[in-house]
Amino acid sequence: MPDASGAARRAENFVRSHPTLAALLLLLPLFLLMIAFFVAPLLQLLNLSMLAQQPTAQNPAPPHTVATYARILGDSFYLQVTGNSILVGFCTTVTTLLVAYPVAYYITRISGWERTLISVACLLPLFVNVIVGILGWYILLLPNGVIQQVLAALGLVDGPLQWLRTLPALVAVLTYEHIPFAVLILVSSLQAIPLDKINAARLLGASVPRIVFTLILPLTMPGLVASAILVFSLSASSYLAPMLISAQRIRVLPPMIFSYGTELLNWPLAAALAFVLLVVVVAITYAFSALMNRLSNRGRWEMV
Amino acid sequence: MPGLRIFVYLIVVLMLLPVLITFPVALTAVSRISFPPVGLSPRWFLAILGDSALLNAIVRSFWLAIVSALVAIAIALPCAFVVQRGRFPGRNLIETWITSPRMIPQIVLALALLAYFESVRLAESFLGLVIAHLVIIIPFAFRTLLVSVATMDRRLEWSSDVLGATPTQTFIRVMVPQLKTGLIAAFIFAFILSFNNVTLALFLSGFGQRTLPVEMFQRMNVAGMTPVIPAISFVLAMIGVVLFVILDRTVGVYRFLAGRD
Repeated sequence: MPDASGAARRAENFVRSHPTLAALLLLLPLFLLMIAFFVAPLLQLLNLSMLAQQPTAQNPAPPHTVATYARILGDSFYLQVTGNSILVGFCTTVTTLLVAYPVAYYITRISGWERTLISVACLLPLFVNVIVGILGWYILLLPNGVIQQVLAALGLVDGPLQWLRTLPALVAVLTYEHIPFAVLILVSSLQAIPLDKINAARLLGASVPRIVFTLILPLTMPGLVASAILVFSLSASSYLAPMLISAQRIRVLPPMIFSYGTELLNWPLAAALAFVLLVVVVAITYAFSALMNRLSNRGRWEMV
Repeated sequence: MPGLRIFVYLIVVLMLLPVLITFPVALTAVSRISFPPVGLSPRWFLAILGDSALLNAIVRSFWLAIVSALVAIAIALPCAFVVQRGRFPGRNLIETWITSPRMIPQIVLALALLAYFESVRLAESFLGLVIAHLVIIIPFAFRTLLVSVATMDRRLEWSSDVLGATPTQTFIRVMVPQLKTGLIAAFIFAFILSFNNVTLALFLSGFGQRTLPVEMFQRMNVAGMTPVIPAISFVLAMIGVVLFVILDRTVGVYRFLAGRD
């Protein structure tokens, strides 16, 4: 391969003599892809959200206006829907962290087959389609479904109960979906705690709750914040569970965006709702991480 | 910590139950979803093979995921080298920029691409789906490859160079073997993300060319669902478990997924 290796040698010389230019060339394909299919579509969507009406063949360029945003912000229905999205995201984040933290802690304390079993169980939703998990929950939660049969046999509940279509059911399914993300982050965060710190605390006579609350929790705070942000932004913008589990009974933004965008073909309204969702998610996660940064800076002395 | 242990195993049961329940439900002999199953029969598993719409969707999803994952790695690997090894200002900025699609709710991106593809004539095309998947999976492939590039031993490359190997030989014989596990991990990761994606495909795949998750969603949401859906769900779940175990035994799941931070 004299030609190929000659070309490679020339490429090598080029990289040596123009490192910055070579770096830019290597980044170029991704750069073009991002400009053409990430930045441009989002800018077009922003433009679309400010059109007075859906562009049509007769009227391809309707005038610009902020009336759609004004309508959303002035209408208690849309505000309620936005509030529901935030509420669902918030509840899911809290339950996910409450479940994932003890599980992640337990995973770091075990090894062998037990660790594999628990890891498979808690990370499986990443490897298996979300639809499969949602279908399973749907079957489990049906009136007179598996869970209700078990509870009825134990004499705890009576008769078919309507659990689907409720907020707790939606939060439970979203928690199931997002536990893997939190477990992954928290396991790596808990594993980074040096064992000698815990041993030192133990030797000095600290009780288990004291070790947990003054040592382990503060040291894993960055992991907790990171998982809270990820889980909130994913669950507040998830579409499938609200469609299949709560079937629009709890109205949230994503199904509404979908239905205006593809069924009712009101693109300006769909686009404006999409930007409301984007801004709400970004603003809340940003504010939360800024707040946690300030709080943990204040507590830094305890962690040294 | 007996209390903690009981809690963890309760969660394990709750995490596995929805996936496992699809098996007995799919074994029913009648054509409605029920538990416990009415009679026992493998007919709904066999029905997958006779369902041409479902089979077409499986094939389409499979090719989509293969193509997207390969192209994503081809684009992301050079970027991982530049960000990891480059010595120029703004490297962090480039990293943030490459991973930024992760910050956008997928439904927003899906709507944006739906409108955009109409205007650039990619609407309802296979190429459009590949491009959309690339935008969301490249950040993850990039992060996994970045970890892999960071752990390479550069002295080996220098030795190979000093000993007279051409750059091509150095790349194939010295660098690729070191990157092998990272490349496999990135490929499987990208493949899974693409194969399992529902939101983008729901907006972007045309009526006659649904991907597997979209086909399943449509049947659950719109048309009456027969137990063929729990049957295919169980098959997918088993494939997921196998992929998981392979990854855990070769790369280690936590190390491999750590790249997603």
